[in-house]
Amino acid sequence: MSKLLSPAKTEVLFMGNEAIARGALEAGLSVAAGYPGTPSSEVIENLATVTKERKLYVEWSTNEKVALEVAAAASFAGLRSVCVMKQNGVNVASDFLLHLAASGTRGGIVLVTCEDPGALSSVNEGESRYFARMLEIPLLEPADFQEAKDLTKWAFELSEKIRNIVILRSVTRMSHASGNVICGKLPDKSGIARFIYDGLITDPLRGPVISTPVVIKHTLQQEKVKKAVELFEDSPFNKYFGPRHPELLIITSSVCFLYSQEAISMLGLQKRVGILKFGCTWPLPTKLLKKYLRLTDKIMIVEEVLPFLEENIKVAVVGMLKEIGIKTFYGKMDGTLPSVGELNADLVVHALGKIMKVKYKSLPGSYTREIKKIAPLIPERELTFCPGCPHRASFWSINNALQLDGRGGFVCGDIGCYAMAALSPAIGFNTVRTLHSMGSGTGLASGFVKLNAFGLEKPVLAVCGDSTFYHAVIPALINAQHNRADITFIVLDNAGTAMTGFQPHPGLAVSAMGESVPAVDIPKICSAIGAKVAISDPFDLEGTSRTLTSLIAESGSLKVLILRQICALSPEKKGKKKFLMQVNEELCLGENCGCNRLCTRIFRCPALTWDQIKKKAAVDEVICAGCGVCYSICPQKAIMRTEAAE
Amino acid sequence: MAFPVKRLSSQKSLKKGVLEEELCTGCGACVGLCPYQVIYHDRTVQLHYCDLEDGKCYAFCPRTPTDLNALRELLFNSADLTPEIGAVKSYYFSRAADSRLRESTQHGGTVTALMELALARGFIDSAIVSSRNQEFLQNGTVVNEKAALRNNAGSKFTVSPTVAAFNQLVNDKSGKIGVVATPCQALALAKMKLKPVKNDSGKIGQLQLIIGLYCGWTLSAEKFTKLLTQNNISLQSLKGMDIPAGKNILELYTNNDTQAVPFDDVQACVREACHYCLDSTAEYADIAVGSARFGNDWKEMRRWNQLIVRTAKGKELVELAIKRGVLEIREAPVESLQELKKAAMEKKNTALRNIIRKSGSAKNLLYLDRHDPIVQKFLKNKASDKKSR
Ligand SMILES: Cc1cc2nc3c(=O)[nH]c(=O)nc-3n(C[C@H](O)[C@H](O)[C@H](O)COP(=O)(O)OP(=O)(O)OC[C@H]3O[C@@H](n4cnc5c(N)ncnc54)[C@H](O)[C@@H]3O)c2cc1C
Ligand code: SF4
Ligand code: SF4
Ligand code: SF4
Ligand code: SF4
Repeated sequence: MSKLLSPAKTEVLFMGNEAIARGALEAGLSVAAGYPGTPSSEVIENLATVTKERKLYVEWSTNEKVALEVAAAASFAGLRSVCVMKQNGVNVASDFLLHLAASGTRGGIVLVTCEDPGALSSVNEGESRYFARMLEIPLLEPADFQEAKDLTKWAFELSEKIRNIVILRSVTRMSHASGNVICGKLPDKSGIARFIYDGLITDPLRGPVISTPVVIKHTLQQEKVKKAVELFEDSPFNKYFGPRHPELLIITSSVCFLYSQEAISMLGLQKRVGILKFGCTWPLPTKLLKKYLRLTDKIMIVEEVLPFLEENIKVAVVGMLKEIGIKTFYGKMDGTLPSVGELNADLVVHALGKIMKVKYKSLPGSYTREIKKIAPLIPERELTFCPGCPHRASFWSINNALQLDGRGGFVCGDIGCYAMAALSPAIGFNTVRTLHSMGSGTGLASGFVKLNAFGLEKPVLAVCGDSTFYHAVIPALINAQHNRADITFIVLDNAGTAMTGFQPHPGLAVSAMGESVPAVDIPKICSAIGAKVAISDPFDLEGTSRTLTSLIAESGSLKVLILRQICALSPEKKGKKKFLMQVNEELCLGENCGCNRLCTRIFRCPALTWDQIKKKAAVDEVICAGCGVCYSICPQKAIMRTEAAE
Repeated sequence: MAFPVKRLSSQKSLKKGVLEEELCTGCGACVGLCPYQVIYHDRTVQLHYCDLEDGKCYAFCPRTPTDLNALRELLFNSADLTPEIGAVKSYYFSRAADSRLRESTQHGGTVTALMELALARGFIDSAIVSSRNQEFLQNGTVVNEKAALRNNAGSKFTVSPTVAAFNQLVNDKSGKIGVVATPCQALALAKMKLKPVKNDSGKIGQLQLIIGLYCGWTLSAEKFTKLLTQNNISLQSLKGMDIPAGKNILELYTNNDTQAVPFDDVQACVREACHYCLDSTAEYADIAVGSARFGNDWKEMRRWNQLIVRTAKGKELVELAIKRGVLEIREAPVESLQELKKAAMEKKNTALRNIIRKSGSAKNLLYLDRHDPIVQKFLKNKASDKKSR
């Protein structure tokens, strides 16, 4: 049995995302939809494992906006639903979210956003907390694993009380860390869907679900926000910890609560500093805030990235100055804490120590000395594609084709593992020159080629993965075709959403729940748009670069190359070698003119190693995925491949 | 710019000093040595970055600095050397005795006849000639029989990376090699004989014969195919081409007729690199062959060649060819040699002028050494030219 279904009152070690999933199940969830994105993916993945037991419908949608629409439909029909995404997914969903928040909802609906301060696995550290304020939606932020579950469950109740969507925000250190959680009861009954729409247009519960008449609905929406504030005023998720008369009050939320607690105890300030922790961060419960602001004149606000909490608190304080008097604030705005990157206990210790004039004795010098001794022994690991990764082969051919073409063409990158080609240029053989949001590569490329009228006469390529193709590329592709942008667009089709852990996508014949579903064919879509379409196996370096070179040379129309090869880590391939590879040292030219270590200096598959003493290349059998591609690059045919036995 | 000698990598120096300066002849000497350089259409392309400093690519390229004096000393008898057309042991008009062969060759078929004989008599085991594929692209190709030699006869006026074929296709099993080469290709091959790279086990020892072609220029394949298309000449139907003596046209022989393109249009297709080339008679070959220029009957003249024998090995082959009746010889009038020298001098002067214009100074002759005695002689000529004017 999945631990997600553990009986009530048992204590279970849950990852933050599992705790959120359990909270949703305890709330009687019926429908879950999402788009994969680190650190959010495990919520949907876990829910997908208990669809039968809990009578759930779970799907991976093509993108976050569609996911939110799917979840909203369930809410409109009176069911409880959740929609899960990473921070920038909220941007994608935001247009619908604006209208949804205006129309109101029926069954409890929660938008779970798992965010990535410090961009550990993102190319942005976007903030979705501002969406809550901008779109007037309540925002909840759990501060530990128990809360991750409990607050999720309560979010559904809140949503139904105010009849609007609620945002629950987690961060990497919450979603991906684990802690003990005491389980609650899983409800026995499952929901029944009934969509009622024959009431008046102004009746949010019986009429059609619609955001007009705008002013009436907007007024209604703001009343909901007021109601939320009232509920927040006595919510157990907003809580004060500390002495009765602290010298300094820390106001915080999310994992920053843990960092603050740790900092106080490391500095031994338990008697001097108190913490007001908010689980409900927007709209702020001002009465509660006022009560604790009265405790002291020094306030420190601890939160990650932008000063969202700080801004809201300061705005609220202006209205209560007469009652509470002048305060001194420490936070992002005065530079006490950085407004970029992740926070950690050290940063809080440092800031807190400064304010409280307490010196923190860090570890003894001997510790640092030891670390300095050990550090060089740790093998260096560079950011790169996996052994056997099709992307390395694809970019190899893309580079060759661009060099052969000779007009200085370049590639607009996109989001997926292959974004690494932009993050560390040598990995992509210096081909990728832009990287933004999902699908942007293709849009940018079609803009770039239009600049030939202004003197930028270079061929422009765009790459995207198969999942990204469905997510956001199709409109850009249609745009390119319709506006005669003769870009060469390359789909790096590795048959799955590899970067986030092989979630299925519309190109595959299996759904999130493991059911067989129709696969949506990328080449057919591209042909239907009117593009010239070619398909190649990236492991065929010769063929791929030949095909691509001739596509790039063709001008006047949209060209698509689909490079198909399953990801090296995919369940189908993992651990299975197609070829056994070995270097013939007699033949290997090594550093000599005639090769100069092409395999280990340029191609750089992690399985290819350089023997400093023998001055020869070698294949690390353990790491080698057996794809056999390096066989084709060696000028000496010194890298030999033999078909592996089944 | 000054030639970037040290301490850039060989590949970077080649890029900066040759490719970016548009001095690249497309000979292919830097290609096929390693995975880094390839020829695509008639461009030399660097696929990936190589950081070696004493590489073959730089050493073999005919447009990187060379000690030409050392090369002359190595290859020729100093008594044979002339400043205008290199070493001359003997000079003839010649043609292949086989009239059928003559019909399929460019001029008198001297080149093909000599290669046939060299193969038949074991001077060489394989020959490298230039062939053209359906896409009108040229490549060196290794042949070892008569029929293949004849199939690839005739001049293609677009560039051929012939030396790349030597680098790429020759192995220990190919035996002794003979190459048909334009002057720039011949220079690249000759540079290899200087063994400029340490520990290069190379195959230069296998190179036994270079038959050079006279050369005024080659055409950029890209521009030339465009010109042909503009003139409604299909690439497939093209059988051959030549410049009839005294006329300002390029004649194009197609399957069913002969067409003419104004020479000025053709001139515009000449590769930039050829404007900086001093060699019109393949000075670094064993034998050099060009078209004959005599009398007024172009039809008759067209089927003859000029032939310069430069080395002992060349002499041996040509004499054997005459003795065995493979080549027919006609004594060349004295004026003919004078004409040739004059034309060769003209090319040298023009190229030097162009080089100085590009570098901006007579002190910087790009790939040439201004202290080289022959270069000096032409520099002086030019100086006195100026004075006399
Ligand atoms: C680009 C070029 C420019 C020339 N310019 C002049 C000139 O200005 N004045 C002059 O007198 N003669 C010039 N020639 C030489 C002339 O065209 C004849 O090649 C020469 O007279 C020999 O004639 P043949 O009948 O003996 O040749 P053939 O018996 O027909 O043999 C010709 C040989 O040259 C090879 N070949 C053809 N094209 C090329 C190429 N591009 N690169 C290398 N090898 C090639 C063929 O494979 C063949 O083996 C030029 C030749 C070329 C290729
Ligand atoms: S590419 Fe081949 S020759 Fe070059 S170092 Fe690697 S194994 Fe050796
Ligand atoms: S010939 Fe040698 S030096 Fe030049 S690019 Fe190749 S390996 Fe490097
Ligand atoms: S002239 Fe020949 S060797 Fe030099 S760069 Fe060009 S192709 Fe290479
Ligand atoms: S003119 Fe000089 S550089 Fe041009 S093809 Fe002839 S020999 Fe080579």
